[in-house]
Amino acid sequence: MKKIIMIKYGELTTKKDNRNFFIKTLQKNIEEKLLDIKHITTYDYFRMFIECEEKDINKVVEILRNIFGIYEIVICFKLEDKSIDSIFNSALEIMKEIPFKTFKIETNRSDKSYDIPSMEVSRKVGGYILKNISNIKVDVNDPEVLLNIEIRQEAVYIYTKGEKGTLGYPVGTLGKALLMLSGGIDSPVAAYLSMKKGIKLDYIYFESIPHTSIEARNKVIKLANILKKYGSKSNLYVINFTKIQETIYQVGNEEYIITVMRRMMYRIAERLAKKINCNAIINGESVGQVASQTLTSMKVINDVTNYPILRPLCSFDKSEIIEISKKIDTYETSIIPYEDCCTVFVPKHPVINPDIKEVLDIENKFDYESFIKEAIDNALIIKIEEEKEDNIYL
Amino acid sequence: MIYLDYSATTPVLPEVLDSYIQVTKDFIGNANSIHNLGVKSKELLIKATVQISDILSCSPKEIIYTSGASESNTFAIMKTVEKYQKRGKHIVTSYLEHKSVLETMDYLKSIGFEISYVKLLENGQIDLEDLEKLIREDTILVSICAVNSEVGFKAPLKTIKQIINKKKSSAVFHSDMTQALGKRTFSLADVDLASFSSHKIYAPKGIGILYKKKDLILNPMIFGTTENAPFRGGTPALPLIVSFSKAMRIMNENFEKNLKKVETLKKNLIKGLSEYDVQINSNDLCVPHIVNVSLKKIKSETFVRALEKEGVCISTNTACSSLEESTVLKALTNDKNISTTSIRISISHLTTNEEIERFLVSFKRTYESLLLK
Repeated sequence: MKKIIMIKYGELTTKKDNRNFFIKTLQKNIEEKLLDIKHITTYDYFRMFIECEEKDINKVVEILRNIFGIYEIVICFKLEDKSIDSIFNSALEIMKEIPFKTFKIETNRSDKSYDIPSMEVSRKVGGYILKNISNIKVDVNDPEVLLNIEIRQEAVYIYTKGEKGTLGYPVGTLGKALLMLSGGIDSPVAAYLSMKKGIKLDYIYFESIPHTSIEARNKVIKLANILKKYGSKSNLYVINFTKIQETIYQVGNEEYIITVMRRMMYRIAERLAKKINCNAIINGESVGQVASQTLTSMKVINDVTNYPILRPLCSFDKSEIIEISKKIDTYETSIIPYEDCCTVFVPKHPVINPDIKEVLDIENKFDYESFIKEAIDNALIIKIEEEKEDNIYL
Repeated sequence: MIYLDYSATTPVLPEVLDSYIQVTKDFIGNANSIHNLGVKSKELLIKATVQISDILSCSPKEIIYTSGASESNTFAIMKTVEKYQKRGKHIVTSYLEHKSVLETMDYLKSIGFEISYVKLLENGQIDLEDLEKLIREDTILVSICAVNSEVGFKAPLKTIKQIINKKKSSAVFHSDMTQALGKRTFSLADVDLASFSSHKIYAPKGIGILYKKKDLILNPMIFGTTENAPFRGGTPALPLIVSFSKAMRIMNENFEKNLKKVETLKKNLIKGLSEYDVQINSNDLCVPHIVNVSLKKIKSETFVRALEKEGVCISTNTACSSLEESTVLKALTNDKNISTTSIRISISHLTTNEEIERFLVSFKRTYESLLLK
């Protein structure tokens, strides 16, 4: 009897023709995260199995907890010896470890060549357990413990309840999008929720050195690194926004600075997204949270692009967003206070209902197209991947 | 020369010294500066601190760098007293403490605080029943070390914390863990404040840690605080911090192995010493690194000086109170023949069997020659 991990797939059951693609992507995502752990992954249409050394099982489960596309993670026992006696012994051994009063056995026999029918297996194993553990009884309606026996071609698998996975789709199955990562609390949460829907991400970050610091950039890199555990390798595009921002500040009406700035950001994001094959732009905007996130503001700002803009947080309260950010480990980093692009040159009273005519007036005062081109051409690309650097000093 | 005074201080590991030198050369920026050199220093500072907090199982925010354990002890006590004296003026401590704790207590007594010393059982353990009696409503601090530096007695921190909780006391619990690091396991979850020193674990002198639990509020020790040094202002001593962090990593990686080796050495040492009419004060409840022996008929200081002529370095009680009578042995035995004749032999995983043998030969010669006089 060997302890292994069984994975039940998430919402894949609805993906008829693409099912194999989804499962393969899930396997690839899992493999990527288990590089350091000796293991073997096998899968079929219904289940995936990970076999590793027993000491590594908890570590693997810990990693699987962050991988999308998993409905349930089950520690299960694999019996190469499929005989009914072998099932008896293993089932009893497993049940002896758990405290319970009532139980039920469910057998699933996908290996139809197995000579005992499912119901019969359940009955026999149930009887054997009743005989060997005292003060317990069978309850088929509401058992405390449900023992599953799966008889398959290659082996028999026995398991009780598993733990719920993170659900969602495997990252990468729904294509790639560009996420506007600011360093605040919201955008990492938006990234997490997008990855949950199977979207692979690249990140765009706007900086305004010397008005913003290298530390602010490092913080964003750190956030991208934290998010990596839910997704896969990605690129962070650092856009030097200084010239654009300073120019807007010089030519513009103060209360419109943010509006024009956000429009420039969308223009840059759209062009970069096209260039690197991202099918959508995602950000952490939540309706009403700040002046640039009123509906009228969003309309005027969004006006510069017809690219799909996804806002996974649009209806979330701040407290709900904070709750998720704590859960996904980004909160502590997000709250480190550094000046970012959106907090330098902030007007005292940013416009809540911007007038498009006024916006266009400001934009006509400078050749933003050449600025945008320059910003994209000079984008700094930082690869967010497994960092293996051992610090030589430590 | 045979060095058997590792509890006084340890030699710096070559690889740790390398880091010290390299960091001094490569990181010239002040971690508090915002330019690139400063940021580089700050990043290394954070990495070094995270490595330490991972080993100690705490948050990096709970680590305060000090100049050493004496500073950590003094400020842990003084800052607690400063903040909480409105709640009461009673402190509980023990005779197992280091001089930096005892003298701080003496000072506090002189300015109106009441200090209670918990009784010790015959085997050197804290009398837990007495401790329970001593904790009162106006007790604001309990300070008991994790390992006594003279004899090596270990204190049961978890039980002490449970007693404080049981008495529903809001007393702050401080523990001097200087001699515990690398020598016994402990959990910082059991204490509110803890003191550590780097030079006891083969890193340079001049740096220590005060662990301060996140939710314990105290005023700054040194003003001029920054994001990097929110409780003790000043420029972080990066080369020292990195050296400390590296030494701690090496210590942690070899913990079990080194402990086993020292245990074997200790057995041999005690076996050799048992042949004389001396009293071995260290027992099984002690860390294996310290063997404290009372010679009964020879004054500690005389013996330590005579042994030095043989090329052997040991200590009387602790390095910081070399010329004084042993507080802990006095409390335990109230016998001057024991408390003024004690010597401390402290060993390390670097000690060899051969050194122990050579020590025993020197011991014999010295002991017999001094006894005759």
